[in-house]
Amino acid sequence: MSNLNVQQLALEYDNASPRKILELALENIDNIAISFSGAEDVVLIDIARKVRKDIKVFSLDTGRLHPETYQYMEAVRKHYGIDIEVMTPDQELLQPFVKEKGLFSFFEDGHQECCGVRKIEPLKRKLATLDGWITGQRKDQSPTRSNVPVIQNDHTFSGPGKELIKFNPLSNWTSEQVWDYIRMFDVPYNKLHEQGYTSIGCQPCTRPVLPNQHEREGRWWWEEATHKECGLHAANIDSKK
Amino acid sequence: MKITFVRKVKADGTDCQKCQDVIDQMAKHDQLKHLDRFVTADERDETSEGFMLAAKYNVTRAPFFVVEYDDGSHKIYTVYLKFVKEVLEEQTDKKAELQDTLNSMSEDLDFI
Repeated sequence: MSNLNVQQLALEYDNASPRKILELALENIDNIAISFSGAEDVVLIDIARKVRKDIKVFSLDTGRLHPETYQYMEAVRKHYGIDIEVMTPDQELLQPFVKEKGLFSFFEDGHQECCGVRKIEPLKRKLATLDGWITGQRKDQSPTRSNVPVIQNDHTFSGPGKELIKFNPLSNWTSEQVWDYIRMFDVPYNKLHEQGYTSIGCQPCTRPVLPNQHEREGRWWWEEATHKECGLHAANIDSKK
Repeated sequence: MKITFVRKVKADGTDCQKCQDVIDQMAKHDQLKHLDRFVTADERDETSEGFMLAAKYNVTRAPFFVVEYDDGSHKIYTVYLKFVKEVLEEQTDKKAELQDTLNSMSEDLDFI
């Protein structure tokens, strides 16, 4: 798929169902994998298995996940009979980081450095080997995702000399649609959802939210929302004129 | 190979801080000489060349580099240190590169 095709397909598939988008991804790119966060993006695995049996799935084990999430990953692995490639942090980066900053540095100087070592590096390492990846990102998850296309070129994580295409099949689904699907097809889910967790990440950085609170309020709540001033969206222009 | 650097100018006419930081870093490491063109995405003009390039290449963050190769292919870099490592073939600090990657991401991290 060329760059031009990706943009055309993004328009063409903007109103397509998650299954159609997954079919496009799985039937056109062999070296592609689903990123499974241990939350409701399990829906991707469920649908993808109906398209292709030999799907590849990877997950990031930051070392700080809830016990329920580890149990859930194992349940998913057994339920679908799939291998889940679990990526772990590079010890050469992690050990000096923990030695210098301790285990809870994110409460003092923000989550960025810890996420860099525990999430970004393993993700980067994995994505450098792929031609495509599939995420559970949805537009309704946060204001910063309101423009998430169903297909995009991933310029951030492409490997040297390679193009990487990112598929977001659930982009247009709401949380309600995801949960309707989970209930309808009896899809296994993370037990933390029963305790009020919506967005599930590392144990120290995730908390349940109250009714009507946005799911993003359950993550890194001690930090102020930062204004992303470098975005290049038409909305930026309109709002600042 | 031809390298175009796209920076953003905000609606109030000031430079995007991150773009300026990258320019400062490139100047400090004598890398500006590798750039063939400087292009601006000016928020006061949605038809400015930088915005057109962003639309063409489906880029949502500034700054970014467009690297056009002699065989007609191209590659977009939204992470400065990734560009330094892969295109300029210079050594980079792994931790700094991770930080740079994080800063260039347009989404939050909780989907992975």
